[in-house]
Amino acid sequence: MTKLKTEHLTRAFLGLVAVNDVSFSMDEGEILGIIGPNGAGKTTFINLVSGIIMPSSGRVEYKGRDVTYMPAHERARLGIARTYQLIHPLENLSLIENVMVGSIFARRHGLKTARAKAAGLCESLGLSGLDRDTSRLTILEIKKMEIARALANEPEVLFLDEVMAGLNADETRELIAQVQTIARERKLAVGVVEHVMGVIKELTHRVIVLEAGELIAEGPYEQVSKNPRVIEAYLGGAA
Amino acid sequence: MATKRRTTILVVLGLAAAILVAIWKPTVLIYGVQQAGLYAAIAIPMGLVLGIVHIVNLAHGEFMMIAAYATYFACRATGMDPLIAVLPAAAVTAAFGWVVYKLTIRRALKAPELNQLILTFGLGIMFSQLVNLFFTSQTRKISLDYVSASVTIGETSFGVWQFVFVAVAAAMAYGLKLFLTRTTLGKAALAVGQNPKGAAIVGIDVDRTYGIVFAIAAALVGGMGALFLTRSAIFPAVGSPFTMKSFSLVAMAGIGNIPGILGSAILLGIAESLLRAFRATRGWADIVFFVLIIAVILGRTLKWRKS
Amino acid sequence: MNRNLLRALAFAAGALAVSLPAFAGAYPLQVARNVIMYMALALTWDMLLRSGQISFGIAGLFGLGAYATALGVLRAGMGDWLSLAFAPVFAGAAALLIGFLILRLRAMYFSIVTLALAEIFRIVIHNLHDFTGGPEGVVLDGVMLGGSAAALYWLTLGGLAVALGASWWFEKSKFHFALTAIRNNETAARSSGVDIFRWLLATFVITSAIQGLLGGIYVQSYGFATPDSVFDANFTLLPLAIALLGGIHSTIGPVFGAILLGLSSEWLKLRLPYGHLVVYGVIIVVVILFMPQGLYGLARKGLRRAEGRAE
Repeated sequence: MTKLKTEHLTRAFLGLVAVNDVSFSMDEGEILGIIGPNGAGKTTFINLVSGIIMPSSGRVEYKGRDVTYMPAHERARLGIARTYQLIHPLENLSLIENVMVGSIFARRHGLKTARAKAAGLCESLGLSGLDRDTSRLTILEIKKMEIARALANEPEVLFLDEVMAGLNADETRELIAQVQTIARERKLAVGVVEHVMGVIKELTHRVIVLEAGELIAEGPYEQVSKNPRVIEAYLGGAA
Repeated sequence: MATKRRTTILVVLGLAAAILVAIWKPTVLIYGVQQAGLYAAIAIPMGLVLGIVHIVNLAHGEFMMIAAYATYFACRATGMDPLIAVLPAAAVTAAFGWVVYKLTIRRALKAPELNQLILTFGLGIMFSQLVNLFFTSQTRKISLDYVSASVTIGETSFGVWQFVFVAVAAAMAYGLKLFLTRTTLGKAALAVGQNPKGAAIVGIDVDRTYGIVFAIAAALVGGMGALFLTRSAIFPAVGSPFTMKSFSLVAMAGIGNIPGILGSAILLGIAESLLRAFRATRGWADIVFFVLIIAVILGRTLKWRKS
Repeated sequence: MNRNLLRALAFAAGALAVSLPAFAGAYPLQVARNVIMYMALALTWDMLLRSGQISFGIAGLFGLGAYATALGVLRAGMGDWLSLAFAPVFAGAAALLIGFLILRLRAMYFSIVTLALAEIFRIVIHNLHDFTGGPEGVVLDGVMLGGSAAALYWLTLGGLAVALGASWWFEKSKFHFALTAIRNNETAARSSGVDIFRWLLATFVITSAIQGLLGGIYVQSYGFATPDSVFDANFTLLPLAIALLGGIHSTIGPVFGAILLGLSSEWLKLRLPYGHLVVYGVIIVVVILFMPQGLYGLARKGLRRAEGRAE
């Protein structure tokens, strides 16, 4: 079943087109990779579908419903969740309190229910020491907390913006397995932005490739990675 | 581009208002322009600091007040005319500004913007209360003959001394423009204002530039303090209203647009002078600035959201 | 920390505060009233600050409340208690209207606009001579509660109880999560479903209503209001310094800040005829530069370090 789709989604900043005419869709249970060279518009694309910024034109549909101009907090309540590239744990809140936020506001649970749900989420991700101050967490724990925070929205669509960055090989492997389990168990549609192609290859069922804001290729990773246009985009970006 | 257009609009509006008022009530125009000169001359240094150091100095008016007090006591002790004291006052305030920058502002540059706001707010209170502590809240004035010089044209008679503020404001705006575009130091300051990180990469000492700009602004407002003393009585709280008014003008002109400050000052000066001209509206004159600052800020956020 | 000990201490402090009139004379009671008033204002300022918004307009809402009470009595014939209830309603309604306009502003723009609004309120009241009494202000027939020093002290203490209760509620409820999330990162907060504008509006209205109530209490306990007395910049300045010194983003910080600063400025006032407020300026500067988390923040940090060592 299609959870999320865009049609001709476009966003220009002062004449610069960051996302140009992108149409795509994501299905239940699918892990989709969103790749492309630096500055290709991947984060802008996520910002558009999650409602952090509004498109110049085009359309965003969530479960058949038009959400193109819906504010971010309402989309969060409907079931679109995301993490951020730059992570800012909430100061003065403990690990579990950070996770509770989504539960409290996106699901409107009371504090007690939210705490119980957050504790369950943390446990499923292997997080312990829930009352710790966030300044005492390891990188892996912070990444997991960030995922737990997004999952607290109880979403059906989840975007992960470079959650693997900064992790070592073992940690990456652990987190990949967890994301796969979560997506399967919760029947999520997951969109993943990553720079490490090994992660994309292992984690995703399908990828879309953005270059200069345009969608230039789409399909399973093995197939897309042999696409001459994609190779050129990456080489061009590197040169 | 946008600032240029705004400057043009402000100038045209100001001129149109001026002509209308000149025909109807000439003294209103004259006093309005004189007042505008005073406002602009005090606001321009604040605009300089905001444009380059990116700090809203809520102690701005207090710098002027302190310079005015220093001048007052120097003049009382030596019998000197405050006019002669303008340059020494500027020098002393520059040094004071530099020290204040080094001791406080500099340490808060990397802190959140709100910390800077609260810091300068606190500095302003500290300065005015220190003066209050040492010299009490008594008002002080130096009486000068030439201040009351007046001219009569036809049936209208008006004081001319305060035109000096208009001249000073215009000189400041022009001088700063030359400084920022023609001198090495000025160009460096402009570069720092636009992009501190980039300026640091090309070898400009950002901290030193900030310090110098802060000192220059202090010098200008300090000179104005001496000049202010020729016209008005002073007391510890005399400076603080000018902080708000200066900020209003700077915000209206747009950050980094010094000539625009002149234009907005004329508009406001005349509006105030107009309200002051009638008994029924006299008390409302002070409200013009505050309504305007809110309108400007709200208008600008509306525009932001549209783009 | 030991929760029971804290509870016992809070209870003892409360009992002491309530029973103060039994053993304190007129002067200490007057000082206490001032301290309590500023403590309550500092709490309300801090409550909004927890969302990251700095208001420079406390005096504006305080003054509005003061005039709402005074004019409620004089022009609408309200009874004393009704006029007290009218103050927060009026200030809250004003805040609701203003909030719609200004709560999309951030950082210095919000702060400057609140400062300008306070000035506008003052000037308007100054100029509506026939209705507000103009610069000379208005005088009530008498002070509330027969002017009993003890009763007026308790009335002010009641105002503080409202502020304390609200602050404590903010710390224990969804407000805590909403405001902390907004302060830290608005974008991330939105992605977690936080309706930022709604929470800011609620916070602004609640804190403004309490500031208005305190203004009403002030008028009822002194029997008069003039634009210069109730819109005095000190009602903005002192709470700010108090909360900064004691420690922002907490209930306990402003409480201790008010006791420390209130008593020391009272002490200075006796010795310095002019400029005793210099201590407020100095404290703001020193705290911002050297201990932005305030005394409570320092204590918390020290405690955490001690706990770390114990582990």
